[in-house]
Amino acid sequence: MKKQKVVILDNEQQNKHDLDAIHKVQEGLSKVDQFPVYTPDLQWFESMVRNEKENSRKKLRKELSLFLIIALFILSGIIVSFYQLPVVFIVIQIITPVFIAYYTISSFSRKVKINE
Amino acid sequence: MDPLIKSAKEGDHLAFAMLFKENYPFLVKYLMKITMNPDMAEELAQETMAKCIQKIHLFNGQSKFSTWLISIATNAYIDQCRKQKRENKWKGQEEVYRKLKWHFESRNEEWNDALEALGKLPVDVRVPIVLKHYYGYSYDEIGAWMKISSGTVKSRVHNGILAVRRELKLGEETEGRHTRQRTTK
Repeated sequence: MKKQKVVILDNEQQNKHDLDAIHKVQEGLSKVDQFPVYTPDLQWFESMVRNEKENSRKKLRKELSLFLIIALFILSGIIVSFYQLPVVFIVIQIITPVFIAYYTISSFSRKVKINE
Repeated sequence: MDPLIKSAKEGDHLAFAMLFKENYPFLVKYLMKITMNPDMAEELAQETMAKCIQKIHLFNGQSKFSTWLISIATNAYIDQCRKQKRENKWKGQEEVYRKLKWHFESRNEEWNDALEALGKLPVDVRVPIVLKHYYGYSYDEIGAWMKISSGTVKSRVHNGILAVRRELKLGEETEGRHTRQRTTK
């Protein structure tokens, strides 16, 4: 009795099958390219650009005013506490850096855990 | 740099419109290939153009404008998929290619099994396959756009092609023979 191992699939054959698969994928995707795509006219694109620029300008204005209002609110609170309630002012000055340090460290360690 | 891009950077609306009109079919067709959904492709094309208007100052002209559009579109699609996944709106891979298949059938076009196999792949595998094997971008470029290493892109493309092969049953016979050992007299 003679034991015969069947020819092992070599790299060349593997590559050939890969190339066949790639070719079939390319064939399928090229069919998508033959699909007619409706392209709007130039005026549509122009008004889209104008609207988009207007929207981003409005968004920037809104965000900036929100930032200024919050900043004013915080600053006035600090100034009032400094003159009227110095104890509260000192407590805020101590709590703030502690909170920032705690928040930074905890978010950093969370990121490290996710990446592990 | 292309004078149209230069004018667009200076804030010329018409130049922007002309650039978009010129590249719109290319952009939509690229998005159709990765989303496999013509409606979503048009929606994402508009989102891509909006992002492009906001980021035009970052375009340095080293690559083609269409390549830059593709990189923005790729990120927009990946972001949308992540968002849908977070909001539990993910419908599963099975449904991804159905719309495209329906469009093929409504146009009496023959549906390609390779497209179905591609549609069954996860987004992060399908996108690099399309970019690498259809558009011919390098692993480095794809990695930079998808914010992953070029080695990861390479392995995703390789595994993706293997999955397509399995789906298309390419080389199954020889692979079957390879795994089994036969004894003959």
